Amino acid sequence: MTQRKKWAAIPGFFLVAAIAAGLSAYSGATAREADAAQAPAGANKLAYPSFSGLSGTNLDGVRNNTEAMALPKITGDSGLKLDPKQGPWAYSGASSPQNYSPEQPVKFPHPQHVQKLGMNCTYCHYSAGKAQDPGLPTVATCMGCHSLVATGKPEIKKLAAYYAKGQPVPWQRMHKVPEYVHFPHSRHANGGVTCQTCHGEVQKMTQVFQYSSLNMGWCVNCHIERKARYDCSTCHY
Amino acid sequence: MSTESGATGVKRRDFLKILGVTSAATAVTGCNTDHVRKLIPYVSNPDNTVPGVSNYFASTCRECATSCGILVETRDGRALKIEGNPNAELNRGALCAKGQSALQGLYNPDRFRQPMARKNGQLTAVTWDEALQTLATKLGEVRSKGQASNAVFINQHEIGSFPAVLDNWLRDYGMPAHLSYDADAPASAIAANKAAYGVAWPTLDFDAASLIVSFGADFLDGWGPSVPLQLAWADARGKVEGAPRAIYIGARRSLTGLNADSWIACRPGSELAIIQFLRGSKPVADAAAAADVSVATLEGLKKEIAEAKRSLLLAGGNGVDSTQVATEVAEYNKSLGNVGITIKPASPLGIYERLDVSAAVFNAADRMNAGSVPVLFVRGANPVHTLPKSVKFAEGLAKVAFKVSFTNVPDETTELADLVLPDHHSLESWGDAEPTANTLHLQQPAMEPVFNTRATADVLIAVAKMDTALASKYTMTDYRSWLVSRFPGGQAAQMLALPKGVASASSLRAAGRAAGDLGRKPAAAFAGAGDFHLVINASPTLGTGAGANKPWLVELPDPVSKIAWQSWVEMHPMACKKLGVTRGDLVTIETSAGKVTLPVYNYLGIRPDTIAVSLGLGHKSQSNRKFDADGDRKVPFYSGYGRYAEGVGINAVDLVSGDTDALSGAIAYTSMKAKVTRTGENIDLITTEGSARQHSRGIGQASTLAALVAARTKKEASHGATEGAATTQHDANAAEGGHELGPKEWGGNEHAFVGGAPTEFLPGLKSPVANDAQGDLGTQDSKDKGMYSEKHWSGMAKRRWAMTVDLSRCTGCSACVTACYSENNIPTVGATWQGRALSPTVWDTRPGANILKGREMAWIRLERYFEGAEDSENVFDPGFDTRFVPMMCQHCGNAPCEPVCPVYATYHSPDGLNVQVYNRCVGTRYCSNNCPYKVRYYNWFGYGEPGRRQYAFPEPMQMQLNPDVTVRGKGVMEKCTFCVQRIREAETRADLEQRPLQADEFTTACAQACPSKAITFGDAADPTWTVAKQVEDERAYHVFEVLNTYTAVVYLKKINHTVEA
Repeated sequence: MTQRKKWAAIPGFFLVAAIAAGLSAYSGATAREADAAQAPAGANKLAYPSFSGLSGTNLDGVRNNTEAMALPKITGDSGLKLDPKQGPWAYSGASSPQNYSPEQPVKFPHPQHVQKLGMNCTYCHYSAGKAQDPGLPTVATCMGCHSLVATGKPEIKKLAAYYAKGQPVPWQRMHKVPEYVHFPHSRHANGGVTCQTCHGEVQKMTQVFQYSSLNMGWCVNCHIERKARYDCSTCHY
Repeated sequence: MSTESGATGVKRRDFLKILGVTSAATAVTGCNTDHVRKLIPYVSNPDNTVPGVSNYFASTCRECATSCGILVETRDGRALKIEGNPNAELNRGALCAKGQSALQGLYNPDRFRQPMARKNGQLTAVTWDEALQTLATKLGEVRSKGQASNAVFINQHEIGSFPAVLDNWLRDYGMPAHLSYDADAPASAIAANKAAYGVAWPTLDFDAASLIVSFGADFLDGWGPSVPLQLAWADARGKVEGAPRAIYIGARRSLTGLNADSWIACRPGSELAIIQFLRGSKPVADAAAAADVSVATLEGLKKEIAEAKRSLLLAGGNGVDSTQVATEVAEYNKSLGNVGITIKPASPLGIYERLDVSAAVFNAADRMNAGSVPVLFVRGANPVHTLPKSVKFAEGLAKVAFKVSFTNVPDETTELADLVLPDHHSLESWGDAEPTANTLHLQQPAMEPVFNTRATADVLIAVAKMDTALASKYTMTDYRSWLVSRFPGGQAAQMLALPKGVASASSLRAAGRAAGDLGRKPAAAFAGAGDFHLVINASPTLGTGAGANKPWLVELPDPVSKIAWQSWVEMHPMACKKLGVTRGDLVTIETSAGKVTLPVYNYLGIRPDTIAVSLGLGHKSQSNRKFDADGDRKVPFYSGYGRYAEGVGINAVDLVSGDTDALSGAIAYTSMKAKVTRTGENIDLITTEGSARQHSRGIGQASTLAALVAARTKKEASHGATEGAATTQHDANAAEGGHELGPKEWGGNEHAFVGGAPTEFLPGLKSPVANDAQGDLGTQDSKDKGMYSEKHWSGMAKRRWAMTVDLSRCTGCSACVTACYSENNIPTVGATWQGRALSPTVWDTRPGANILKGREMAWIRLERYFEGAEDSENVFDPGFDTRFVPMMCQHCGNAPCEPVCPVYATYHSPDGLNVQVYNRCVGTRYCSNNCPYKVRYYNWFGYGEPGRRQYAFPEPMQMQLNPDVTVRGKGVMEKCTFCVQRIREAETRADLEQRPLQADEFTTACAQACPSKAITFGDAADPTWTVAKQVEDERAYHVFEVLNTYTAVVYLKKINHTVEA
């Protein structure tokens, strides 16, 4: 009797599951609509809806970048749509999307500083070799030169305005691994991994874009290649 | 190695496929990166700051007057965790639960966010300029009217320069010196110490004693300087051989009593008769009759004291004659020659310098009620809550024309104030303390103030500067510059001393004060009607109430009863039977002072003619429940003692008459008779205790010195013989007799491990470990050594992280639990808004509702088991033994949780950790069901998700979260990680410095905090680590080793010191 009851319950479970799935799909759809409604006027509709930080991004930004440097071959294990026209960031786990390239409040040209002036990455990203966070240059670091250099340029004027107000530059965050991943920059930088291995040739990017997928598969492939530890608790805790 | 599962049925991969069908549809909307926001750099870089690397600021703990040295971990400008400062001799890196919870005072969501002034009967936000102007004007008025000499300033008792600075300031305004008030202070012992030894608090050297006798001195329950006392106690008891035996005398077996080897359960109030008998001024028969214990017991006690090489007698208590008892005990110590050896008045502690007795506050209340007090200041103290109703403090406040509070959280006293000038939290302020002579603990801010508050010392200076008569005297910029100016060597020397936190210097001393008028009505001993003596004790964690607004402390189960979020009354099972009540039955307790209704907790450790109630809870607002006068704030503004204290428990002070101990002027809490009547109702006790008994499971094991020596001799005799180690182990257990786990209970040796591995602990790499989550084992004999084989996929296992817990040191104080909450972002789950939905619109808003459902989240818990006194309903047997067992994930080599996980969310790492991977976890809870230790905790609600109703970190409490540890979401299993983030941090640091990890280089949060130094953590595979030596100890055992779990946690048996026959 109880056995029969148990089996009879199974279709019931599926029914419940199907209703739940339907409901959540519906609420997801409404959430996306709400997201779109909140996006500022002129925002590109192709922007992937579930990334709230992306609402102002458009594909043109990405294409412009590729002029300075070829669009990197997209790797990773997601196996999902990778066609840029469909939104290159169709799925990348919960990491920030590959090729994401937001417009920054101050258009900082990496090629000018790195290639032309020969500055080292760690001049500005000063803690990449000694801490888990790579560090962002303080506004004072920028102003160390730019109180004298290129003061007339519009971007430098913006920078100087921030400094005069004593405010930081509100950079748009690009690279983001999920909350449950711990990525210490120092161990990688000191372990012989170049900045470019993960970040691409930033020295050639007029507007920086996310070079790697930051997927777990991408991480693990490299860990295996380099014989680094890759069990879960290496990064997840 | 077997690759196929022998049993038929659903394999985990197949299960996954099935699961995939239904979860795929929901996964689409499951993930998003809402948290991707902005990267904000500094405008200019602060010195010595590296993003993502913690800075540690040495400072001084202000949660009690002991003034332990602390290190405040800060990251990117905010305080994350408080640890003891290893440079401070006083507390040697240890810190109690109260001290660690100071962080929740700093980030308390109910803190005042700016000054407030009463306008139209409501406290309303004002600017500092306006507030200071108001204060200056009022002070001028009081002075011009000639009323200044009647002003009252009640300050929380603290040591250091501030009390002296405050007195000087008051004197400049013509006001009398302040009252230094501490409701938690052991007033009887202080008065006796002063009388007998000439100091308020001598150093107590437990280590030098061979016998410790405590007359109700609860030195492990927060009596006196708790961390230094606990360190001294644990060092003495941890010696095992030559450790002092401890006897506790009192009507209720407190945490201290449970740690003692014997309990003499005397009638409350009869301690005087016992000490008089010991000193020879009372015949034994009279003393035995008064105490209701046998003549033999008392004669035995006298004999033990006489025969002890060196003894240490302590007396505490809060009864009518406790000071007399303490004085007699002190005199007895003198005659026994203990002074200078176990009691050292020559090296006193500063903790109770300049403390005022309660009677002084009573007198102030009388003057207030007489209408003669023109202005009252209060800072940190909460007399409305902590004083008995008969003192009429609240009524007196109403008659004071102008009341100023410097307290930074709303409490019962502050909500009646006219002007609130919120003080900085101690972690935001400058200061100093002199806990021992000529040792200065420096206090410095660990971070910028969270809110718009100001240090009281700075407010005093600022107000004095506004006064034309005083401006010339107050030329210093602020309190900090004044502190610098009197530091020997000035600023340069102070800057050198600050990183260490300790300096050779003295604080400014306030002039000593006469004890004053103690002439309040002395209490009569146990007068009044009622069948029971009522014992009232301060809670070891909540004190007399200060801890109740910090969820870590409210959720920390009481070390004795294991009850949280609730008040209870302790009754002996015999008394329960007589009264016809059982556990959880509501009874009404009525004394001549008041009446409360409480659930019964049937407790072995109390006399059948006595009941006990703890102080600490029962905060309630006197005025409106909530008042929102606070500008742009959206959350309701709480009065009373904030959202965590609201409606939790009762205030046991309501049962106290308010009469005093005539000699010390302290409130005589334990002086009442109580009438207990049953109400017929029953509620659930909010307890984390599953069972108070071990049922022969051998979880907390104990032994005696004699048994230990016997086992040692036997082992030596059988050395070289070929018998298996398992047999030796069981023989050792059998030799000890007692209640230990014997092979018979588990069916002889039939549990022998497949592959022939012995069941004893093999430390380090020798220990068998499952080589994958399917449960295949690498054993010593087989060729497959699992992860530790070089051929294994990981091929890099070089470490096995392990832990030892020395039960002869552990006192059950639970400081480790709070340390774990702080380090690992563990949510508290008992607040009123965190309950479950009873229906779609109705929520369970009882405090502690989740804990009633067994949903507490403590990764480490203190289990407390009683042994003996089985027939407690019929016989009163004070000779039971108590075992405290800190229980956390055992990181089994052969973990039962691992093979049952359908999604590989838990597995064994190559360095010996049992890992929980939050992002893999789908919340089946199979692992928890299969865990024999019950150390896995499930997120039933989104405690870590800001959008959820049950969110555990209301703003700004989210700032306490450790960025190195994932904040878990709903539906995820979690458990002790052995502080894997600390392991990784140490590995990264060693890697950065291009060196191998050094032995004992770092430790877990629980081991770091432990005021008993009972926990040792490290790499058992590397013999240079302390833990690798400790696991070889003769007292070592595993909990449930018979299950072949090969745990990485090793317990060292508790040693009971019985009387040698």
